[in-house]
Amino acid sequence: MSTSTEPEAKGSAAAEPAAPADRVGSGTRLAMILLQGRTLIVLVALVIMFSLISSDYLTTSNLLLMSKHVSITALLAIGVTFVILTGGIDLSVGSISGLAGMISGGLLYEGLKLPGGDTVWFSTVMVIVIGILIGAAVGAINGLLVTKLKVAPFIATLGVLYAARGLADLRSKGGTFPNLAGTPARHNTGFNVLGGKSWIGVPVAIWIMIVVAALAIIVTTRTPFGRRVYAVGGNERAAELAGIRTSRIKIAVYIISGACAALAGLILTSELGAAYPDTATTYELNAIAAAVLGGTALAGGKGSIIGTLVGAFVIGFLSDGLVLVGVSSFWQLVVKGTVIVLAVVLEQTQERVKTRMTT
Amino acid sequence: MRRFPSHRPIIGLTVVTVAAALGLTACGSSKSSSGSGTSAGGSKLIVIVTPSPDNVFFKAEQQAADAEAKRLGYTTLVLSHDDDPTKQSQAIDTAISRKAAAIILDNAGADSTVTALQKAGNAKIPSFLIDREINSTGVAKAQIVSNNSQGATLGAQEFAKDMGQSGEYFELTGKETDTNAGVRSKGYHSVLDQFPKMKMVAQQSANWDQTEALQKVQTMLQAHPNVKGIIAGNDTMALGAWAALQAAKKTNVIVTGFDGSPDVVSSVLKDGIKATVLQPAAKISQMAVDQADKYIKTGSTGQPEKQSVDCVLVNKDNAAKVSNFALGS
Amino acid sequence: MTEPTDPAETPIASRSGTPAASDAAGTPSTEPTALVAEEITKSYGGVHALRGVTFKARTGAVNVLVGENGAGKSTLMKILSGAEQPTGGRILLDGEPVEFPTPREALAHGIGIIHQELSLFPNLSVADNIFAGRELHNRAHLTSVAEQRRRARSALARLRQDIDPDTLVGDLPIGSQQLVEIARVLSQNVRILIMDEPTSALSNAEVDVLFEVMDDLREQNVTVIYISHKLEEFRRIGDYVTVLRDGALVAEASMDRTDTAWIVQQMVGRSQDSLFTRSASRTGDVLLAVENLSVPGKPTPLVDDVSFNVKAGEIVGIYGLMGAGRTELMEALIGMRHHTGTIQVDGRRAVDGRVSGRLALGLALVPEDRQRDGLVQALSVRANLLLSTLNTLTRHLLLSPARERRVATGQVKDLRIKVPGVDAQVTQLSGGNQQKVILGRALRTDPKVLLLDEPTRGIDIGAKTEIFRIMSDLADKGLGVLFVSSELAEVMGMSDRILVMARGRITADLPRGEATEEALVNASASTTVMKVSP
Repeated sequence: MSTSTEPEAKGSAAAEPAAPADRVGSGTRLAMILLQGRTLIVLVALVIMFSLISSDYLTTSNLLLMSKHVSITALLAIGVTFVILTGGIDLSVGSISGLAGMISGGLLYEGLKLPGGDTVWFSTVMVIVIGILIGAAVGAINGLLVTKLKVAPFIATLGVLYAARGLADLRSKGGTFPNLAGTPARHNTGFNVLGGKSWIGVPVAIWIMIVVAALAIIVTTRTPFGRRVYAVGGNERAAELAGIRTSRIKIAVYIISGACAALAGLILTSELGAAYPDTATTYELNAIAAAVLGGTALAGGKGSIIGTLVGAFVIGFLSDGLVLVGVSSFWQLVVKGTVIVLAVVLEQTQERVKTRMTT
Repeated sequence: MRRFPSHRPIIGLTVVTVAAALGLTACGSSKSSSGSGTSAGGSKLIVIVTPSPDNVFFKAEQQAADAEAKRLGYTTLVLSHDDDPTKQSQAIDTAISRKAAAIILDNAGADSTVTALQKAGNAKIPSFLIDREINSTGVAKAQIVSNNSQGATLGAQEFAKDMGQSGEYFELTGKETDTNAGVRSKGYHSVLDQFPKMKMVAQQSANWDQTEALQKVQTMLQAHPNVKGIIAGNDTMALGAWAALQAAKKTNVIVTGFDGSPDVVSSVLKDGIKATVLQPAAKISQMAVDQADKYIKTGSTGQPEKQSVDCVLVNKDNAAKVSNFALGS
Repeated sequence: MTEPTDPAETPIASRSGTPAASDAAGTPSTEPTALVAEEITKSYGGVHALRGVTFKARTGAVNVLVGENGAGKSTLMKILSGAEQPTGGRILLDGEPVEFPTPREALAHGIGIIHQELSLFPNLSVADNIFAGRELHNRAHLTSVAEQRRRARSALARLRQDIDPDTLVGDLPIGSQQLVEIARVLSQNVRILIMDEPTSALSNAEVDVLFEVMDDLREQNVTVIYISHKLEEFRRIGDYVTVLRDGALVAEASMDRTDTAWIVQQMVGRSQDSLFTRSASRTGDVLLAVENLSVPGKPTPLVDDVSFNVKAGEIVGIYGLMGAGRTELMEALIGMRHHTGTIQVDGRRAVDGRVSGRLALGLALVPEDRQRDGLVQALSVRANLLLSTLNTLTRHLLLSPARERRVATGQVKDLRIKVPGVDAQVTQLSGGNQQKVILGRALRTDPKVLLLDEPTRGIDIGAKTEIFRIMSDLADKGLGVLFVSSELAEVMGMSDRILVMARGRITADLPRGEATEEALVNASASTTVMKVSP
């Protein structure tokens, strides 16, 4: 028995724990397909249901408006998905949105006051870049807390949630920057483009969401970095042993999450035309819910950006639909919670069907 | 696995970020400030407790009380309870342990506040409530509130007049658990429901929040594009509604707020938001501090416990005279 | 290699290993049996863990069960203690057939088990641990602490131990913890006590105490089933010995009628032709030089001042018992563990403590625990194969799925990995093919020295042969190969040179010709250090 591979073939067939998919009956397979697209089905069902209740739901202008609202949740959720894919969690994104909005809003409203009494003004583009960099820097703190100081991600980002919100408050001593229009002489006009303008009939916020989502899809599916993100979340020890610098990957995903959150905060601030410290409070929960709805496993290693996008659309289209048909805000919360839990129950069902198919 | 994890990058980054966030501010500030007097005695200390100064209204009442107390020669300690009864109770504990001479409080809940105030009373510290009442008398030395119901009537009358007493309108209500949200909404409807041609086509709570008001109004506009007016339970929601209207290029829609905040007042001046109802926050705070001073010196405020101060309508005619929650002459 | 034992020396033993033969071997004595496992079979999917084993435990005696890793000892014990259900066969207790659907049921019949890893709560007191899950209640349904304390004290007294029942278990030395666990099991009126490698974590003095306790138990007519790898120890304490190999019972005998060599041969005894035999290739320069490598640990270093080298074209095997520090040594070499000492690969000294640095230096590890350290289960065969070398596959920073597939397919063909397709989930593969995926990933990094930790653990014989062939081919190509194995036959058949580890140290360095089974087994239990000259 020194050479032949036959015994191996026999042995492996006998020991095969999982059957190839082609042995499975077509009925079960159909069930699988339906379950895999479950979030999309929920989304379609929502659209059909609301358009039956209200003729104003399925109109171009309402779909664009709802998508614009979705873009905020989607940007936050895309960033959070990177973190969850590595097996972490980021609770600080809402606060990062608020902080970035306040920093950028402050720079537009009153400039940067130097200790000497001078005031420095930045151009609109610089203001946006600074806002995003602030988000990335706070994300980097999350990442370093998790990797270098070995703080559990839940705790690290919970701490940053409070600290970043506090910094946002400190920026204006609690107040609002009411006017972000800027003045032409300082080259800081036009901030309202992010949240208030449209390009070929589609709000800029939606374009931003499309671009960020496309980049995120390419990064997760077509780059070594994306593959490593999945590997770290799937099995951190194995990833480490395969030569992946897992700490670097983790720091990077928190930076991505922070930058996405900052971008969302800037859009919110731009749309409102005012920056106030409470912006995006508790939005992190929407973002995590969107990722989970989209099939991202909180344990890491499983999920996709597209799934998260669909999840964000479900949450956004549901919330706006309930407002449109005039449901009270208390019931809105009940319905939202129920849909999230139902979607996760469906996920469990899918896992069970999968197990049944493969054993 | 790193051998020797270095903590230096994280400290550095934290410092940089905090510095970046704060450094972009004009100067560091401390909300709690001791005046010139020594705080050792404690008997000259007035503790001022309000909700979060995120909201310009609370900030104004806080500052007015602080200024008046210092003018009368007291040291002050300014605390915020963020509408959390637990935090409020801790703030009262602080006042007791610092042996304050009086507490000025904008409370965090009509029922949940009573016990905390009894605690202060047992420690012989008099309390003076501003802005919101509690469901109990005899616990505080004074309860000075603006007349929300009268103010809502004023605002609704102006709103009806601007609407020509007919047409569709939205109502944005405040946090549904907040007493004032209910009082104001009831006040609005006591007027508006008398006009048969005025029709409320949508009512949503935006939880006093600007962004939420913006997004909800945007959605409501989808269903009711012909809306003629929006009446909001406070000014931040009115500002959110106004931002939604501007984005939708529907600036002919009539918006009315409540509070008299500087941002809305300046919008009124620029023909944006039509009207708001000024709560005399600064005046109430001054009254409370003056009565506290009198009580400390004489053992009596010389006033009934419950006092209500009428609100003032602010529209384009008088907006120029309003500054920081006070109507100048 | 193992020579067939002269049947005359063999007291009672079956050479064939078939169930019928072992059954025919009969009972070595007429003493009463407390427990008989009759014709037990157990299969997991297509893998047969036990093939018709008839095992007898004699009343009031210490019945030793031995066998190499994977021989089926643990599976048999799980069945006897109710943790697993047999596929076939039955259990007789005092001659009556019984069934144990749960461990609780087995315990109700007086069968208790002490696992290799202690199942105590270190944060609770000794008394709380002894009564965990079956707290004594008083009439008010509150835990009666005083009664628990009293009974815990008497349970410990039965073991002649004077341990305060209020001590936190975490504060006790490991040997005392072991005794607390025994006290816990015995306090539940256990008549049959199964002990799975109870001494693996104990010091010599603690082992002596344990054995005294076992003597006492014997006198109290408790039947002990004792699983061990440590020849000298179980020969000291055991009354009967039963040998399992590849899921079958191959021999049983009264201990006094056996000797060490016989037992080793029964354990290893696999006929020579079932194993790949290495024909040594020409060795070249030193590729891996390790000097004074230590991995800190408590109370003693996990790897203790180890020095050795591996030459080009050489396959070096590391033999040792569980806990000898072999895996820790491998992990230190690949940069997964903090260590001191120097490592040189092909003359270049390792300075980077990370795995990525060690890979770049020319080391690659196939880890012991495939599922925990090797595979990313959620990813495909392709992604797992290419995980270490993603950067070599990009064009304009992007991965091309077509190119990935081409490279992965090539690797799958080279290593003859049986897959439904390279995009299949890696969890769909059999153990042997999963192992080849990890091996393939390591080979793609172009290693100079390949490290393999128990490369054949849990895979079938055909896949083992394949892995050995690949190792041999790699050595022929001039790589250095360092592999860890717990199987004597394997390490003797495959290695050009064998290092033996015990207690974190290298206790023997034997060239192929000098490595006898006894020499290896003795060295693996040795405490003296063998200094290896590099």
